[in-house]
Amino acid sequence: MTGRAPRWIIVLVGVIAFVWIVPIIGVVVTSFRPPSEVVLGWWRLDNLTFTLSAWTRIWDAYPLADAFWTTLQLATLATLATMILTPAAAYAFHFLKFRGRRLLLILIINAFVLPQQVVIIPLFQLWRELGLIDSFLAVLIPYVGLSFAWSIFLVKNFLEDFPKELIEASRIDGCTPISTFRHVVLPNILAPIFALGILQFLWTWNALLLPLLYLRSDVPLPVLFARIAGTYDLNWDLRSVAAIITTIVPLLVFLVFQRQFAAGAQSRTGAKE
Amino acid sequence: MGGAVTTRSTSQGVLGRDERRQPLVARRWHLRDTPVAWLFLLPVLILFGIAVVFPLFDTIRLSFYDIKGLAPPKYVGLGNYTRLFSDPAFLHTLGTTLTFTIGVTVIAVSVGWVVAMLCAFAPRQTLPFRVMIFSAFGISEAVTGYMWITMLRPGADGLVNALIRSLGFPDFAQPWLGDPNTAIWALIVAAGWAATGLPLMLCFAAVQAIPKSVLEAAYMDGAKPVSIMLHIMAPLSLPGVRVAVFITLLNALRAFDIIYVLTGGGPVRSTETVGYFMYRESMTQFKLGYGAAATVILLVAVLIVSIPAVIQRTAGAR
Repeated sequence: MTGRAPRWIIVLVGVIAFVWIVPIIGVVVTSFRPPSEVVLGWWRLDNLTFTLSAWTRIWDAYPLADAFWTTLQLATLATLATMILTPAAAYAFHFLKFRGRRLLLILIINAFVLPQQVVIIPLFQLWRELGLIDSFLAVLIPYVGLSFAWSIFLVKNFLEDFPKELIEASRIDGCTPISTFRHVVLPNILAPIFALGILQFLWTWNALLLPLLYLRSDVPLPVLFARIAGTYDLNWDLRSVAAIITTIVPLLVFLVFQRQFAAGAQSRTGAKE
Repeated sequence: MGGAVTTRSTSQGVLGRDERRQPLVARRWHLRDTPVAWLFLLPVLILFGIAVVFPLFDTIRLSFYDIKGLAPPKYVGLGNYTRLFSDPAFLHTLGTTLTFTIGVTVIAVSVGWVVAMLCAFAPRQTLPFRVMIFSAFGISEAVTGYMWITMLRPGADGLVNALIRSLGFPDFAQPWLGDPNTAIWALIVAAGWAATGLPLMLCFAAVQAIPKSVLEAAYMDGAKPVSIMLHIMAPLSLPGVRVAVFITLLNALRAFDIIYVLTGGGPVRSTETVGYFMYRESMTQFKLGYGAAATVILLVAVLIVSIPAVIQRTAGAR
């Protein structure tokens, strides 16, 4: 129907979209203007000065650089672990026969409905006993463990369309299950592995609840920012810069890969760690 | 963003269907599968066990104990549950959870669905607009909360109040987040804003999956866009919309981050949902058993909402 669409539809959707991102524009504009100018509203244009002052002062005001590094490490480690462990498990569930296979599969793929609130009390006690509070493992283990509920589902769904002939052929050629996985299956499922990597990266980057409870000294950006956001200081310019730094990486990753995100988010149902 | 997005989870695998008629070679190969399968699954099962299975059962177990701080736990049977249902704060929480969950779902799915249908008339020209609305979903909820704190500021620099004043209703301008009666609605708007992108994408995929010939025929018959939306797109995209409703309900029910940052459950506990209440009781008041009982209530609510999805996934698991 392209080309015949009435103009008013495109205009209407455009207006809705711009209204939608007004809160984002507000934060970006505030971060580049001196606080004195925006006391009557960031949208006032009576005098308009562009300044990077807040962007240079921010690094002394809040330990954002440390938090950025912590977040990057946590998100990268959790993403790699999920990307490495999921394909083998999905392959085992899909192509191998073993006792209890279907029961385990049902358990794992249905766990996506569980709220993260379920894990916090038992793991809090367990980490305290093991002395793991404040260790990266305290959040990495639940990040990765919880991810299997949707990541295995995502890869296994992809395997539903995997040509069975390829597997049969490799069997006849004398491939063992492991070499079939390595040489036949793995090279052909890089797309879903990549997609789940993006999803896991975004969600672990944005995670707030688990690091809020289990990490004390090195906290990731959302935890640090949650502390900054709720204060009664009037430094809106600094806080807006901190907001942008907190979310710029996931937002860019999201904008670049939003197609994979839309497809994958369904299996994960958009849950956030 | 093709139609495959919505159909994939329901498609039945071709591979599992004729497992019994497998050639001898393959069956012999399967005899050697078991150790390999467990080798591949071992790390997954260990992590899943620690992060999901153990907490699930332990939360239920702890809900029968009275645990205060580091003192030894005391078995109280259903004591925590009877206390919950005579705790006015918890009972209020149930109402708040219902309002929040339904409010967010209504905003997110209705806006997402209507915009998705509008976009279907010009998929390519509206792509940037869809991404703009969807982008709120990629933002950390902590930041979303902050954005709405700035939008809802009571002074001259809060955009919402400034708009209300400039439209000529100065009496309606108010500290939205400071009043227990309005804070919940402010929270719903903020959470709905962030949640709209996903239903938009799911509904759009569902509308795109409608056969083009149906829409062409309606066009030929001279149907106006609005009636095409109402009579063709809306009913034919219902399966996708159902998925969107479920996902949004589930996410709103489990919400925590945005409440923590935007209102902190306040003022005077007016914006505490069950998911926030359990955090407050267990992690700030250190009543672990009481918090666990509230978590079990949340779990029951989540499971009720999820029954159709769980049945579908279980049936499709082969």
